[in-house]
Amino acid sequence: MKPPSENHDLIRWLDGEMTAAERAAFDAELKADPALAREAEEMRSLSASLRTHLPAEMKVPHADFFNSQIQMRIAQMDMADARPKPASFLDSLIALFRQPWLATASVAAVAVAGFFLLVPAGGDSAHSLILSSYAPGRGVETSTYHDAAADATVLMLEGLEEVPADRKISGISVHRSETEPEVAATTLFDAAGSPLLVISRDAAGQPLFLRNNPRG
Amino acid sequence: MKFLPPVLLILLSSTISWAQEKAAPQPLPAVKPATEGKVWGALIFATNDAAQLTGAQEKAPKHLGALDERLGKVFAFKHFEILGQHQQDIFREYESWVVPSRDLFLKVDSNGPAENGGVKLHLQVWREQQVLVKSDAVLRPGSPLFIGGPKWKDGRLIFVLSLERK
Repeated sequence: MKPPSENHDLIRWLDGEMTAAERAAFDAELKADPALAREAEEMRSLSASLRTHLPAEMKVPHADFFNSQIQMRIAQMDMADARPKPASFLDSLIALFRQPWLATASVAAVAVAGFFLLVPAGGDSAHSLILSSYAPGRGVETSTYHDAAADATVLMLEGLEEVPADRKISGISVHRSETEPEVAATTLFDAAGSPLLVISRDAAGQPLFLRNNPRG
Repeated sequence: MKFLPPVLLILLSSTISWAQEKAAPQPLPAVKPATEGKVWGALIFATNDAAQLTGAQEKAPKHLGALDERLGKVFAFKHFEILGQHQQDIFREYESWVVPSRDLFLKVDSNGPAENGGVKLHLQVWREQQVLVKSDAVLRPGSPLFIGGPKWKDGRLIFVLSLERK
């Protein structure tokens, strides 16, 4: 079995994380390098196959086995610790830190400090939260915060490539959608019930807008 | 037989009509996938120059209150124009797309209900074929998410996502 690819550009290409310019350059690279093109095709097939066959969440297989291994390892470490050793100042200090009451007191102190440091003023956690964010574009930075005055959670993206001023950005008004899992496509409808467009994914897993019904 | 009796004609007509009805293709029963709630997503153009506005006439839903004022507290612009909007179910087992515009849109995967209400989501903001940001979030009703997107003209594109109350 071949090792997983270490070509970061290939992975970014597969994940749709390249800008249009980067993608065009990489597509040219693929045309010029048959070995790279072959690897890209293999990874794309593997990615599509995994997406199709693997459920979104999986239970840990043989969890009991892992638990028992961990417990065994802890027992071995405890036995090693229990062997008599010559006492020293360092050992005495370590022994102090191993006192059960000290561990409990430490945990309680950290919990109390964490409560006062992390819980926002007023203790209101009923607003939306950003748990994590990742912007794959080069030079793009994200920042998140809750704006109390607007009562909104903000995810700010800085360093994005600007949309050209002469580019027409137009919106649509979608009132309902129908999803067809078998063909992985969603049809969007307007207020009058007329189809606006169909969104699906291409072989690389990137969004694809279709004009016609995916069932033909 | 030169003329059929009227009763026979009516009977014949009814039979033909019934046969045509039975022969017509019946629509398949629609099976609605399980959902975690419903979101409203919009693409907003923020600018200080009223002349730059596109003239779109979209309105924000009432549950968001004065959206312009709320946006104005976060983004330093005078005008906020809704270019497009999309009301979408969040499917429990399938990805959902929130597409107020083909230029900037959102893929949403549910990670299940959140403690203290709301829903846990994995979000991806796409600009055509490029993903701009991936994020794990908890979305709660009444507390919208404002995503500050790319600059356009003299302003900025903003994506708003809000969970509707059940």
